Amino acid sequence: MRKYIEIFKSQLQLDAAYNGWFWANAVASVIGLLIAFSFWHAVYRNTTQIANMNLPKMISYVVIAMLLGNYVSGVGNRLSESIRSGEVAIELMKPYDLLLKLIWIDLGSKVSASVRDSLPLLVIGYAFLGVQAPVSLAGGALFAVSAMLGVLIGTQFDLIIGVLAFWTVNVWGLRVLRRGILSIFSGALIPVTLFPAWLLHISEVLPFQSMVYTPVAIYTGAIPLQAVGMTLLIQAVWLIGLYVLVRLIWSVALRKVVIFGG
Amino acid sequence: MIRVEHLSKEYKIARRKPGLRGAAQNLFHRTYDTKAAVSDVSFSIDQGEMVGYIGANGAGKSTTIKMLCGILTPTAGEVKVAGIVPYKQRQRNARNIGAVFGQRTQLFWDIPARESFNLLKHIYQIPQHRFAENLRTFSDVLELEPLFGRPVRQMSLGEKMRCELAAAFLQDPLVVYLDEPTIGLDVSVKARIRQFIREMNRNRKTTVILTTHDMQDIEEICSRLIMIDAGRLLYDGDLRSVRQRFGNRRTIHFDLATPATDTGMPAQLAPWVFAEWEGRERVHIQFDARQTSASDVIAAMLQSYAVRDLTITDPSIESIVKDIYERGLS
Repeated sequence: MRKYIEIFKSQLQLDAAYNGWFWANAVASVIGLLIAFSFWHAVYRNTTQIANMNLPKMISYVVIAMLLGNYVSGVGNRLSESIRSGEVAIELMKPYDLLLKLIWIDLGSKVSASVRDSLPLLVIGYAFLGVQAPVSLAGGALFAVSAMLGVLIGTQFDLIIGVLAFWTVNVWGLRVLRRGILSIFSGALIPVTLFPAWLLHISEVLPFQSMVYTPVAIYTGAIPLQAVGMTLLIQAVWLIGLYVLVRLIWSVALRKVVIFGG
Repeated sequence: MIRVEHLSKEYKIARRKPGLRGAAQNLFHRTYDTKAAVSDVSFSIDQGEMVGYIGANGAGKSTTIKMLCGILTPTAGEVKVAGIVPYKQRQRNARNIGAVFGQRTQLFWDIPARESFNLLKHIYQIPQHRFAENLRTFSDVLELEPLFGRPVRQMSLGEKMRCELAAAFLQDPLVVYLDEPTIGLDVSVKARIRQFIREMNRNRKTTVILTTHDMQDIEEICSRLIMIDAGRLLYDGDLRSVRQRFGNRRTIHFDLATPATDTGMPAQLAPWVFAEWEGRERVHIQFDARQTSASDVIAAMLQSYAVRDLTITDPSIESIVKDIYERGLS
């Protein structure tokens, strides 16, 4: 366990070392936030309610969802890249579990990201854009738990795409597909409740809305407190399911692994 | 320490049809070629041995090493390293081994070397006193002190390789695999690295397996050679008999000032040498230093041809492997 914590710490160090990159990212997220803010203002000019949401509620949703949306990507890219270059050979010679190592690196970079991206977004959101506080203290706490689960689900899903590089070598296409699916179904762009009924049904049986929509809906109160237990359970089941799936694909991959390069 | 029995590894390689149409067909139907990278190789290596594992490019060296490291699963046969089947217990095996791959780094690219070593300490769970002691000893031979504060990406090849070696021996491994540890380095760094490897082996009984194309590496480090070619074991034995056979072989390359009119050898050389012409202005002459001397060869050539330039070289690993392959070791 100690070694993974050290790896986690080294990732924090690493992220801090890239100072320029650090701030460029922060600026980019603020700009994205302002664009979304103006967009929804324009949409609400001629209406006061969309799917039972008024403007302040929608803004709260969009800002918090954007914040979480930054976390759904992860280390999959790094994994597929190291598979493609053959670098993975060296990783496999180390006495650690590569998947666990990646998850800890992922956590490290997400902690950095929360300082880099989320903090400025939150400050601006609360101070200038009129983002509402969570419905209640309990709601806020449950949101934190649900958000954590959502982030971990995102990591697992990303790892699946990464491991597939053992077969496809180039996962660029898969990543584009993944991004498309995630921006629609995770709820990072718009609440899934804005979907037509048939699409909403599809979304409900997929794991993606657990990543962003579920926690944010707890935050805004769209999911009432008494129903939260059930949604958390669903999230946990998805997390475990995806984790097992990653392990399964991983062990098959290792058995028939072809390492590229000398 | 290492036991390899009837080890084989086959790769399946997708056959790509040429052209755009071929690419489209590949999407729906793929045919595979099987390539045997390693076939039926057996050997066993005792603790503290230093073995040169050599062969031409693509002979199956790295495939074997990868199976010893537990990264690849053999198609057939058995491997055991320190009593462990590497691919079944990859992490336990990983704790017993160290490795340097000349082309890749196992240090962390962006953080200072000191932090890299520190991270390795935790990853390998090296006790603090061992860690400190090792780092101190290694620094003496490899002169690491000035490198500690720098990340790998800011190091020269030689500096990087010194750190890599330290990293490979840091956890007191039982076996160390060195893949081209001196490639592209200057003479003084090479010497330092060879000295380090010899000391490690002498003081700690570390088993070393070295793959290289540098004959000098082998001569200075190894006492035993294992050669493979096209995935098959070609030779396994001590270095001495190989050296007796090839150690006296020299090649002199002549550049002629004017094209040769006749490509025969001067009469006094003909029985002893083997000449290979490259056009009419270059000739490579091979001979055995015990049968005739370099000065005789050069003198005879100078008499017969207008020589512009000449160089003398020792046999390369490739030519030795080729020779053993074609004529056997007698």
